[in-house]
Amino acid sequence: MWRDLGLAVLVLLSAAVESNSTSPPGKPVLLSCRSPEKETFTCWWEPGSDGGLPTTYRLYYERERLEGVHECPDYWSAGSNSCFFNKTHTLIWVDYYLTVVASNALGNATSDIFKMDVMEIMKPNVPENVTLLVVETEDSPYLHIRWEHPRNTDTESGWVTIKYELRIKQEKNNKWKEYMSGTQSHFSLYSIAPGGVYTVQVRCKLDHGSWSEWTNSTNVKVPNYVQNERSFWILVATLSAIPFMAAMCTLIVKRENVKQCVLPPVPGPKIRGVDFHLLMSGQSEDSTNALIINQNFPLIVGWKDQMEEYLIVTENDIGPPSDASHCQKRKKSLIIPAGFCSDWEIQCKSTHIQNDCAGGTKNETGNFPKNNKSLSGESLSYMEPSKLQKQQCLGQNFVNTEATDPSPLNYDNAVKPFTNSGYVDIRKHVENTQEVNVKQVDYSRVEDVNGDNVFILNNKNLAFNSSGYMDFQRQEEKLSEDYSRVKEVGSNNVVVLQIQDMSADTKNPHATGAHKMGVCTELINSEYIDTIPAPPLM
Amino acid sequence: MAHRETNGSKLFITVLCMVAACSAVPINDLLDRASQRSDMLHSLSTTLTKDLSNHVPPVGWTMMPRPPLCHTSSLQTPNDKEQALQLSESDLMSLARSLLQAWQDPLVDLSNSANSLLHPSQSSISNKIRELQEHSKSLGDGLDILSGKMGPAAQAISSLPYRGSNDIGEDNISKLTNFHFLLSCFRRDSHKIDSFLKVLRCRAAKVQPEMC
Repeated sequence: MWRDLGLAVLVLLSAAVESNSTSPPGKPVLLSCRSPEKETFTCWWEPGSDGGLPTTYRLYYERERLEGVHECPDYWSAGSNSCFFNKTHTLIWVDYYLTVVASNALGNATSDIFKMDVMEIMKPNVPENVTLLVVETEDSPYLHIRWEHPRNTDTESGWVTIKYELRIKQEKNNKWKEYMSGTQSHFSLYSIAPGGVYTVQVRCKLDHGSWSEWTNSTNVKVPNYVQNERSFWILVATLSAIPFMAAMCTLIVKRENVKQCVLPPVPGPKIRGVDFHLLMSGQSEDSTNALIINQNFPLIVGWKDQMEEYLIVTENDIGPPSDASHCQKRKKSLIIPAGFCSDWEIQCKSTHIQNDCAGGTKNETGNFPKNNKSLSGESLSYMEPSKLQKQQCLGQNFVNTEATDPSPLNYDNAVKPFTNSGYVDIRKHVENTQEVNVKQVDYSRVEDVNGDNVFILNNKNLAFNSSGYMDFQRQEEKLSEDYSRVKEVGSNNVVVLQIQDMSADTKNPHATGAHKMGVCTELINSEYIDTIPAPPLM
Repeated sequence: MAHRETNGSKLFITVLCMVAACSAVPINDLLDRASQRSDMLHSLSTTLTKDLSNHVPPVGWTMMPRPPLCHTSSLQTPNDKEQALQLSESDLMSLARSLLQAWQDPLVDLSNSANSLLHPSQSSISNKIRELQEHSKSLGDGLDILSGKMGPAAQAISSLPYRGSNDIGEDNISKLTNFHFLLSCFRRDSHKIDSFLKVLRCRAAKVQPEMC
């Protein structure tokens, strides 16, 4: 133990002996200079060895546009081994030549010349008061970062231009993401992950100098917010999906209807009344019938617009009637005088029937001279017994009756073929209860025709059976003005009537429904006569 | 005839509108544009000098033999903030324009020497020099327009003749050294121009503090 102590003392003494040798200081080294705001700057050096003696360090500088060598104005403000140049001593855009001299009792040591310009050594302080804020909006939150300019830096005169840069990192990652902020002292980061922790650092630079140091890390935690929104949207989506599915199902189920509605069948061409398929199948009768019927050909039976009944007068041996030029018009219509009732028991009312050939003279009866003698109903009942009766004696209006008459076919047997001149067939009606011995006494001759359809009967020929005349006379007494007996039928549609002067008192029990007879002598080419009935004299 | 007349009148109106619109560009806007361009100029020159000094051994400067001065050093410019802020707008504009004008020829020289420079990144340096020339030209044009709006004092340009690089030797090192020297001078002057214009911009846009 004593030996250890002795050895220790020996070591200490030898060390003390060695330190007694001093030397001049070692060469100091100028490390760097820095100007934080383009108005002042500081330089630091590193001292060399001091040589065992107290060593002083002095900084000397020379400057462009300044004569002489000058010493550092401030060794203490910036700490040890530093020199601080305040605003007064700082000039920009001029070169400084700096040297540091270390000196001790034994000697000096001078550093190398350090040339610098203030514009080259600009490096600002760190930005200050970095604050983070999570801003929650309806869509999504974002991170809003704010900071302030570094201390002592002038931002009002435009002397310096500060540009910022920041970097952000999430807690899980180790990777920084850097963003330039330009001259703005705030920044917004979108699309941040909820529930994450973010770390932010900011730095800046002056003009185009060096970057400052990064600020200390600032952290923020983003709250979990999204779940409410997501669930809301999920609910909305589900609710809207239900009616959508329902609509789709309906469409699919009712696709035929939908198809009908959206794509209606295009109608093909069609002729009215013609069955296309029938036509195509080639049944000729039906098709021709269809074609014919549909073309509305005027039926032969159909021309009865003015006449209901037609008059068929058959005459066996009578030649063509005399010419009567009065009735020029030929109308294929039939007018049946109401008075021509073969059945005396039927009382007929006659109405005016318009005679078209005379231009609508309704009151033709007035034209008849009253001295016309009316023929007996019998003799003039030349129509088909049954049918015409019915038709004549029905109602007042003739127009009704004949329309239902189907065709002239019924009268075929009563109508004999006429010559072109048109004569009247007068059929004898044999219903007279009296003497049947009737010769052809029923004919009268129209002697003359006056004006419009006026017959003047010829009374001369009375070579008939008296029975006929009897009837006639009987009738005539009463109805002397109403009836005329056809005396003769001339050519050219002339009926010559006979005016009777008989004044027999025999009454015709049948002559009740006496009427005047207006006869129009319009004889048509065919079997019909247009007659104008007189109004009934009831 | 009527069609032609309407065309002519339309053209006339369009020209009128353009002229009115052009003259209606505010000075603030022009200054902002000029500042941005000078900022780019300075940034380019800084990058260029850094690229260059990567491979050029730093030459130890001494005070004795006096270091060469930039050809623009004769121009009296402010050297600190107080001096700069005391200058009038016209002076600032005049200084900026003079400096810019002074570098037209030297940039041509720089461009020429960049083509034959022995440097690893010679092509990029050469490209950047050409960019410098373009930006410098457009900035000069913009400043001409600006100064026209600011008055005759702003339009005064001090002549700073450039006598060419006397010291450009034949060897590559001296060539490189001179090149580097010229570029550093240009970097300083571009910084001056940028600073002056930004002070001017801030002063003109008092209602817009974000400009400063």
